[in-house]
Amino acid sequence: MKSISQRNLDKTISKRFFLLSIFKGGVVGAIGWRFFDLQMIENRRYEKLSDNNQFNYHMIAPERGRILDRKMRLLAGNMDGFSLVLNWNKNINVELIIKNILSVINIDQKDLNNFYKEINSNNNDFAKEILITKNLSQKDVSKLAVRSIEFPEVSFLMTKKRFYPQGIIAGHITGYIGPYSEKNTKTKIKPNTSWLEVGKSGLEKFFDKELRGKFGRKRNEVTSKGHIVASQIYENTISGNDIQVSLDMGLQAFAVERFEKGNNALVSIKNENIKKQIEKTKNINFINNDYVYKDKKNRIVNPESGSLIVMDIENGELICCLSSPGYDPNIFSNDLDVNVWNNLKNNSRAPLLNRSMSGVYPPGSTIKMAVALAALENGIIDYNTKFFCDGAKKLGESTFHCWAKDGHGKLNLIEAIEQSCDVYFYELGLKVGIDKIALMMKRLGLGQYYNVEIKNMSKGVVPNIEWKLKRDGLQWSMGETLNASIGQGYLLTTPLQLTTMIARIANGKFSVTPTLMVNKNKNRFKDLNINPQHIDFIKKSMERVVKGNNGTAKKYQIGSKKVEMAGKTGTVQVVRISEAEREKGLIKNEDRPWKRRDHALFVGYAPASKPKYAITVVVEHGGSGSSTAAPIARDIFKYIFKV
Amino acid sequence: MNYKPNKFYEESFGTLFFSKLYKLNFLIIISLILLGLVGVASLYSAAGGNWDPWATNHLIRLIFGIFLMFILAFLPHKIFFKLSVLSFFIGVLSLILVKFVGTGNVQRWITLGGMNFQPSEAMKIALILILARYFDHVSRIELDKLKSYILPLFLIFLPGILVISQPDLGTGLTIILLGLAILFFVGISMKFVILCFIILASSVPFIWKQLYDYQKDRILVFLNPELDSLGSGYQIIQSKIAIGSGGIFGKGYLLGSQSRLNYLPEKHTDFIFTLISEELGFLGSIFIILIFCILIISIMKISFRVKSLFSKIVAFGIGFLFFLYLSLNVGMVCGLLPVVGAPLPLISYGGTSLLTVLIGVGIVLSINIHDKEIV
Repeated sequence: MKSISQRNLDKTISKRFFLLSIFKGGVVGAIGWRFFDLQMIENRRYEKLSDNNQFNYHMIAPERGRILDRKMRLLAGNMDGFSLVLNWNKNINVELIIKNILSVINIDQKDLNNFYKEINSNNNDFAKEILITKNLSQKDVSKLAVRSIEFPEVSFLMTKKRFYPQGIIAGHITGYIGPYSEKNTKTKIKPNTSWLEVGKSGLEKFFDKELRGKFGRKRNEVTSKGHIVASQIYENTISGNDIQVSLDMGLQAFAVERFEKGNNALVSIKNENIKKQIEKTKNINFINNDYVYKDKKNRIVNPESGSLIVMDIENGELICCLSSPGYDPNIFSNDLDVNVWNNLKNNSRAPLLNRSMSGVYPPGSTIKMAVALAALENGIIDYNTKFFCDGAKKLGESTFHCWAKDGHGKLNLIEAIEQSCDVYFYELGLKVGIDKIALMMKRLGLGQYYNVEIKNMSKGVVPNIEWKLKRDGLQWSMGETLNASIGQGYLLTTPLQLTTMIARIANGKFSVTPTLMVNKNKNRFKDLNINPQHIDFIKKSMERVVKGNNGTAKKYQIGSKKVEMAGKTGTVQVVRISEAEREKGLIKNEDRPWKRRDHALFVGYAPASKPKYAITVVVEHGGSGSSTAAPIARDIFKYIFKV
Repeated sequence: MNYKPNKFYEESFGTLFFSKLYKLNFLIIISLILLGLVGVASLYSAAGGNWDPWATNHLIRLIFGIFLMFILAFLPHKIFFKLSVLSFFIGVLSLILVKFVGTGNVQRWITLGGMNFQPSEAMKIALILILARYFDHVSRIELDKLKSYILPLFLIFLPGILVISQPDLGTGLTIILLGLAILFFVGISMKFVILCFIILASSVPFIWKQLYDYQKDRILVFLNPELDSLGSGYQIIQSKIAIGSGGIFGKGYLLGSQSRLNYLPEKHTDFIFTLISEELGFLGSIFIILIFCILIISIMKISFRVKSLFSKIVAFGIGFLFFLYLSLNVGMVCGLLPVVGAPLPLISYGGTSLLTVLIGVGIVLSINIHDKEIV
C-alpha cells in the first residue's frame, strides 16, 4: 500500500468525499422529512386507518321500549330471537361457509339473498359482521352450536324481535317497524348493523326516538386475517322508554269484533254449504280461517270497513280507535313477504289506511248540530222557529230533497234534529250562510289537525266562500250552502274530527282535543265559548234522536235506566241520485253493489244525563246510519257501561 | 485522536494490546451495540413479547459477531489487503455455487454447517476489499484513463448481475451501487459519470424487459401502491399506516396494533423499522436514524483521516455500505423507494447481514488502529 500524499490524490478524493457526503446528507434528510410528514403531519389520517384496521365497531341495538294500554296491557313488546352473523373479512370463502351451514340448517332464501347483497355491496376491505339471518330457531342454534368448531367464522347474536300480542286489533295505532334506511328517518345515526329497525308508522314512528333508546357500541379487535382477538363493550346501550297509551284493549278488541260484524251473521267456514258458497264468491278477505260473515240475504260478505272511535269527553283520551280492515303489524317484524305486502297495498279496501285519522268522509246529517248551533249562536232562530217540509226544497232550477219523500210537515228545531229533516236545515243554511256555518264547524273541531301522536292525519274540508274562490276561482252558490247544511258537498271530515265535535258538544264548556296518551291533557282546554243553554238544547235534541217517538235511532236505545245514549245518525250518499232514478223509486241499499251503497254514520255520547264518552261510528257503504251505525254504537256503550 | 505513538509501549505484546485497545473507536462500538440491542428489543416485540423465535437468536448472533469484530479489529489491516483477492474469488465462486446448491425458493442461501449463509451479503465486503486493493496499485496518471476502470467495472458487475439473477434485485443493486460509489470516490472522471447516466437512462426499457414479473410489479406498485392494495401494494400501504399512526411518541413498546395484529408482513426482517416507528413514534425513528448517522459519520471520519488509499477506500466503502443499507431499507418501508428486499443491518433478523456489517466494522476498526503501520 502506498501513501496517498505521494500520489497527490488528496484534492480529488476530498472533493468527491465532500460531494458524496452532501448526497448522503440529502438522502437522510429526505428520509427524515418523510417520517416527519408521515408521523407528524399526516398522523391523524394514518391513525384513523390504523384504527380501522385494528378495530371494527358494531352498533348494539338497545331494547326497544314497550307500548302499553291504559291498563298496562302489552300492545308492543320484544321477543328473544337468535341471529346468525358472519364475521366477514376479505380472506374467507363465503360460498363455502354458507354451503357448509346450509348442510346443517335451513336458511330462508330471502335472507340469503339479502346476505349476498350485503356482501356484494361491501365497498371496503375492513373486517366486519354481516347478518346472515335473524330467524334462527332454538333448534337451529343448538344444531350449529354443537358443530361450532367447523364454523369459526360465524357467531350467534341474541336479538330482540318486535311483536304485537294484540295482532290486528290495534295495528293502525301501534304501527310497525322496519329496516332502517336513510331516506325515511330523520335521525342522523349511521349504524353499520344490517338489522337496525325503526318505527315506520303509527306510535312506533311517532315515538321512535323515545322507544329506541340509545345505541351502544361493541368494539372488536381483529387481526389481518379477520380473527377477533378481543371484544369489549365500548358504549353501553340504554333501553328505550315504555309508552302508555290511552286505549283500552278490552274495549278495542270488543269493538273490532262488533264493528266487523255489522248487521251480518257469523257462520262457520266448516259448513259444507258455506264452503261451496265461498268458492263462488270473489274478493273475500277472510278475517280468520274459521268464520265468515253472511248478510241478511245469505251472501258471504267481507267484514265491515270503516272506523270507530270512543273518546273521553273530559280529557280527550281516545279509549278506542279502530280502523277496519286492519293489518297485523307482526308481519313486518319478520322479513316482510313481497306477496303479503302487495296484497296489503293493492287490497281494494286499503287495510293500511288508518281511517280514524286519515280517512275523510262527508259527515252527512251528523253535522246538523253544528248548523243548528251556528243558527242559534247567531240569533237567527230561536228554539221554536218552525219550517215546513214537504219533502223537497226548490232553489232556482234545482230541487233539494229531504230523505223523507213525503216530507215532515211543520216542525221546530228539536223535531228537525230528532227526525233529521233535511228541508229544515236547507232553510236554516240559507238563513245563516256558509261562512257562519263554517266558523261554527271549525269551533267544534272540524277542518283542522290535532296534536295527536300519530302522523299522517287528514285535515278534511270545511268549505266557505273564500275557500271556494281560492280553490276554483268561482263564486259560492246557494245550492252549495244547502248541500253543506246536510253534511254533503264539499264538506269532508275524519272520524276523529267528528268525535271531537261530539265531545265538545257533550262537554259543553271546553274545546276538548283528542290524544292517545294517558294523563297528557292535565291542563284545561280552551273555552268553547258557546252559550250553555244552546248546548243543552242541542243535547236535548240529540237525546230525542234515540229516545223520541220519531227518533232516527229510537230502535237502538240502550234501554237501561242508568245509562242512555244520545246521538245523531247520518247517511251519506256516495253516488248522485238523478231525478230519473228518483222517479223510478230508489233501489234499496242492500241491492246496490257495495261500492254504491251509502255510508252509515252515527255520532253520540253517553250517558245522556251526565256525558262521559263520545263515540263516532263510520261504516263505509254500510247502508243507513240508523240501521247499521247506531246499533254498533249502542253495543259499544253497553260494553263500556256494562249494562 | 491525539495519540502519539510511544516507542516504549511498542516493546512487548501486552503493551501492544493495550495500545490497540486504546486506539479503538468506542463511539462506533457503542453505536453498534446500541443498534444491536434495539434489534433484540424490536424482535422481542415482533414476536408479541416473546424471546422466541427471534430475539434470543439475534442476541446470540450479535454477541458472536461482536466477538468476531474485535478479533478482526486487532488483526493488522495488511491481512485484509492480502486476503482481498482470495475472498473475492471465494465470493464469486459461492455465488455461482448457490445457483446449483442454493436453498430457499429464490436460491440465495448456502447451508454451511447447519447455518444458512447468504454469499451475496459477504460479497459486499469482498468487493470493497478488491476494489481498494486494485486502486491502491493504480498510479495517479492512469486513474484519469478510462481503461483503468474496465477491470473494476467487471469486478462490480460480475457479482452484481450474479446476485440480481438469483433473483435478488435489492442486494444486487446494493452491490452495484456500492462499487460505483467507490469508483466515483477514487476520482473517475465526471464526464464518464455523466455519460454513464445517459447510457443507463437510455437502457431503462431494455432493463425493464429483463426484469421478472414480480420485480416489475413491485416497481409499478411502488409508483402507485393503490394499484394493488391487497397484493403487492398491501405491504407498503400497511407499512405507511403503521408508521403514520405512530405519531410523535408512538403507540408504546409492545403496543403497536399494526404489528401485533399481523398487518405488517415481514415485520421481523425487512419491515422491522416500521414496527419501531409504530411503537416508538417519530422520536424513536429519528433516534435510530441518528445512531446510524453517528456510525456512518464516525466511519467516514476514519476514511477521511487515514493515509493509505487502500484504507481510505475500505473505510469509505464500509461507511457507504451502511448508508446504502439504511437508506434502501428505511426508504423502502416509508414508501420512498420500491420494495426491494433490503434488511436493516443490526436490527433485522438474519445472520448474514449482521455478520457482514460486523466484519466490515471490524476491518474499519483494524484500519483505524493499524493505518500508521507500513503495509
